[in-house]
Amino acid sequence: MRRRPGIGGLQTAAAARDQYRLVGENVAKIRTDMMKEQLATFRTQLEEFARKHKNDIRKNPAFRSQFHEMCAKVGVDPLASNKGFWAELLGIGDFYYELGVQIVEICLATRPHNGGLINLQELCILLHQRKSDREAVSEDDCLRAISKLKVLGSGFEVISVGKKKLVRSVPTELNKDHNEILELAQAQGFVTVEEVERRLSWTSGRAIDALDTLLDEGLAMIDDGHRDGKRRYWFPCVSSNSTPVADT
Amino acid sequence: MQKLGDFKLPHFFNYPPYFTLQPVRDTREKQVQLWKDLILDYCKTQKIFVIGLEEDFALFSNPVIERSLSHEAREAFLSALVSEGRAEWLNKGHRKCLILWHRVQDWADIIFRFVKDNGLEDSVMTVEEIRSGIESRGTELHGIDRTILMRALRVLEQKGKLAIFKGTSADDEGVKFSM
Repeated sequence: MRRRPGIGGLQTAAAARDQYRLVGENVAKIRTDMMKEQLATFRTQLEEFARKHKNDIRKNPAFRSQFHEMCAKVGVDPLASNKGFWAELLGIGDFYYELGVQIVEICLATRPHNGGLINLQELCILLHQRKSDREAVSEDDCLRAISKLKVLGSGFEVISVGKKKLVRSVPTELNKDHNEILELAQAQGFVTVEEVERRLSWTSGRAIDALDTLLDEGLAMIDDGHRDGKRRYWFPCVSSNSTPVADT
Repeated sequence: MQKLGDFKLPHFFNYPPYFTLQPVRDTREKQVQLWKDLILDYCKTQKIFVIGLEEDFALFSNPVIERSLSHEAREAFLSALVSEGRAEWLNKGHRKCLILWHRVQDWADIIFRFVKDNGLEDSVMTVEEIRSGIESRGTELHGIDRTILMRALRVLEQKGKLAIFKGTSADDEGVKFSM
């Protein structure tokens, strides 16, 4: 555009700017409307889906896990708040909060026995015993519920040791040495100092030191009763048949 | 689950480290608690009143996992019961232990109820009759340990509910109820 001098030129330029702005605003409005519409559609679709499969979501752990996956993909966290339409529709928030409370209870009840470290599988079994008539609970559900517990800063955490997942409910920091011992113990439920030294190629001091820590934390128990006279260190958190259920 | 006769054994009985006294305080407290409950429970259902530390006692060893309690452990668990008033050493050497799954006071109450239920308020019985007579058959008093029975009777005697006197035969005493 050829620039024209004078007041007339300035006025034309101002008028043009106004025009541009108007058009721009219109475009933006149309976009927002469209977006809103799309969101609304999406929301109704999702609601409809949730309503339609409400029972499946509640009853079927595999379906529930897939539903979570789908939600994660579209960037929705049905557990983020208990006030959203998810909660009203599904009670899914309540489901996990309840599960979380039960997990805390079980962890506390079994803590004297296992020192605050419990096998995820065993936790699931204990949960099942509690809610015999209720919906099935999968390990995936437990993991979700535990991840929500983290918000409380109470030190609930899932750690992987070998193939197993352990739920930690005490603020004990387990270092790599401890983890390796726990992994080794999974085979038989116990280890001996000799075995740790041999299998992990550690010095005797290192093995004894790590085992003593585990003992102090209440994660291990000693057993001097075997015929060969060698002290065994048992780990209640990795041997599944040892949890006293009746007395908790 | 493993059983002793008709007694259901708890899970921990099959877990070897529970047969070794634990060195860490918290773990040990839990261990002692489990054993105390087990001993009381077992003695109650099997009507066992006295445990000899040196003798064979079903709970002191578990052949399935090849573990047995050391003398130290046996004494530790029984001592814990003694300190709670649920057991008493019968001699200074801690060789025999009287198990009170009912406290002496509770046994006295049981005798009191037994007398009321059978309308024996003013009658005379021998101590042996209370332990093995027809009246006590089917009650908890049947087969009660003599030492415990005498202790409970003394409690009632002090309250003036009965009088104990020497019987005609030297080895038995009589009880005159006056409830």
